Amino acid sequence: MMLEDELTVSTRERDGVAIIDLVGDVTTFAEEKINAAYREVTNNGARFVLLNFRQNDYINSAGIAILIGIVTEVNRNNQKLAVSGLSQHFQKIFRMVGLAQYAEIYQNEDEALVGLQKG
Amino acid sequence: MSDETSQPERPEKVIELRLPSKLGYERVAMDTASSLARRMGFSNDRVDSLKTAISEAVTNAIEHGNQQDAAMKVVVLLTARKDGLVVSVADQGCKPLAQGSTTSSPTIEEAFERDDKGGWGIWLIRELMDEVEFSTAPSGGNQVRMVIHLE
Repeated sequence: MMLEDELTVSTRERDGVAIIDLVGDVTTFAEEKINAAYREVTNNGARFVLLNFRQNDYINSAGIAILIGIVTEVNRNNQKLAVSGLSQHFQKIFRMVGLAQYAEIYQNEDEALVGLQKG
Repeated sequence: MSDETSQPERPEKVIELRLPSKLGYERVAMDTASSLARRMGFSNDRVDSLKTAISEAVTNAIEHGNQQDAAMKVVVLLTARKDGLVVSVADQGCKPLAQGSTTSSPTIEEAFERDDKGGWGIWLIRELMDEVEFSTAPSGGNQVRMVIHLE
């Protein structure tokens, strides 16, 4: 029974933005994968990082803690972070927690690519 | 204890789940609660709030209360009422909830400074549900009772 690891993480670059695609659930089991992807794009010199969520029915508080860890690193490394593709519910959660103050929320990847490099 | 807990619910209104204390099984509680809430007429955003709250409550019970001992059970009771859904989540209580954890409001700025950036679960439950109450279960474990109202 698949109850644990239901997240696929991959990285790509588009228009000068490092995109980390997160397909699936973001829980405690996601930590290694997300941190590894962030390290990879950072080692490659990324200044703009986009966490692109897809089909994320389940992001829990452990997942939020992982994302706060990414924000901490992003601030330390003087990068700029945005998120896209979140459902309405998780957009609300991100605002409640305060993540939205440190990672601008966009509805989709295209909007994020424009927005990230404007500011 | 409030009066309502001493009044037996009609049995067909109560769903009881006994989950192994292994991370991932909180999904079974989320799916069951969401299915019931939809049938009761809750809107999608309320169902989403309920799913997050129940996942945090069950995850706490698995990780902290029962210390991920798969043989220990997390008991979830879902009671459908005319005016809302009552969810209670109880563990077998190896480890009581830390003093203050049921009332604290974390901020992201202080989380940046901590190695452990967690601690959002109970706060999210309180923010998302209409009523939340922490107590000790008859079995001695931690119990959280939360209510979401039908508007």
